Amino acid sequence: MKLLLLVLAAALIAFYVGYLHADEPAAKIDLNTDTLGPRTIEELTEKSIVRDYGLAWRTLRDALNHNQPGALEGYFTGFAKDDFSRLVQSQLKTGVHVRYSDRNHRLTAIFYSPSGDAMQLRDRATLEMQILDGTKLLSTQQVTRNYLVLMTPGADRWLVRDLQSIPEGRP
Amino acid sequence: MRALVITVMVATMCCPLLASDLKAPATVVAGTDFVIASAESQGGTFYLIGPSLVSKREVQNGSEISVPGDGIKSAGVYTALLCSGAGCVSTDFYVKPSSPARLSLLAHPSRVRVAEPNAISAVALVFDKFRNLVVEPAQVEFQAVAGEAQPISQSRTAANGIAWIRLTSGKKEGPIKVGAIIGPAKELRVVRQVASDACNLRIKPEWAAGKFYVSTDPVRDCSGNAVPDGTVVSFTKTDRSGKTTVDAPVKRGIARVQMPVDGNARIFVASGVVTGNELNVTGKQ
Repeated sequence: MKLLLLVLAAALIAFYVGYLHADEPAAKIDLNTDTLGPRTIEELTEKSIVRDYGLAWRTLRDALNHNQPGALEGYFTGFAKDDFSRLVQSQLKTGVHVRYSDRNHRLTAIFYSPSGDAMQLRDRATLEMQILDGTKLLSTQQVTRNYLVLMTPGADRWLVRDLQSIPEGRP
Repeated sequence: MRALVITVMVATMCCPLLASDLKAPATVVAGTDFVIASAESQGGTFYLIGPSLVSKREVQNGSEISVPGDGIKSAGVYTALLCSGAGCVSTDFYVKPSSPARLSLLAHPSRVRVAEPNAISAVALVFDKFRNLVVEPAQVEFQAVAGEAQPISQSRTAANGIAWIRLTSGKKEGPIKVGAIIGPAKELRVVRQVASDACNLRIKPEWAAGKFYVSTDPVRDCSGNAVPDGTVVSFTKTDRSGKTTVDAPVKRGIARVQMPVDGNARIFVASGVVTGNELNVTGKQ
């Protein structure tokens, strides 16, 4: 019996450590374009938005988890990159850090500029948010956050230019 | 039972978060000072987690924690935590953008043909002084000014920080200034209007030093703007020796070619999809 308990405890610890350090599975991303305008979206663009927004969150997660602002280079630009770089710098300064784990994103595309150079989306994201001071876990929350996202096309991908959380219930 | 006790203990050790009894004001505007109240009169460590900043400081009195506006310049959802020996209390609150103070304007394309319906698009993004997208509806005034003409204005309501408009290009070539204005913020972009396709192409014969030339009248679009130099004009001649086409670029407003003519010849002119008049000439023997 003792042996069984020990094995179970070891398995639990291994699972927890693995959970913290292994590459997390990609978040599920749905994109709704039913109300998008004034420009209509091409199928390829739709796929690129889903792929690149997902990768942007992955790089954001890495940048915040490992305090590496360089991770933001690939999929962020403009205000979004500036803001998250400042966030990482303040994490380095205070020793406090935020660990995001995004589970899923329900994206609704709401504006696609006539010339195709900007797209605004609304994201209802389900996240796990942990706040740590050094290695001490202060808080763990399962949260649903709403974001207004502005994406612009780069050379070979769509980049997140602005990512602003908005209160629950905004239309 | 033992398992339940262990689970509760583990949960308490992992997440020492107690009740959510920190109180932030219902509305906080970016960049303004405010106070977070709590039932905790003892001090502790206060953490503020925002969209672009994490801060940590010790507070002596937990019942009233003042937060300077400098710490909340970014709009979005913040989490405040107060931790002491007894654990942590927290609250989430929303910081809304302040009033519109900046604009970003995207105008496309940079060159446009004259008299093209809805050819110019202008998209204005409304920001506050801290570069937060102002999500509340706001009136943006778009202006278009061509040369010395009176500005044409139209107002649009920004939704989620974005207002946009489509404009028809003017009839005269030259720069058009497309602007957007909101409060103290004004942004301008210049779009160059260029002549459209050639219109009413006309050719005439010329004999000079025993050689036959065909030249166009000044090549203009339907609004009377001279087409740019380099625009290709095609001259097609049909005579006894067969059919020949010669392309010539417009230089200083006209296109001109030398064409040997064998007997009677018919000459047509075209530029793009536009055709002009026809000449019937007789070659000199």
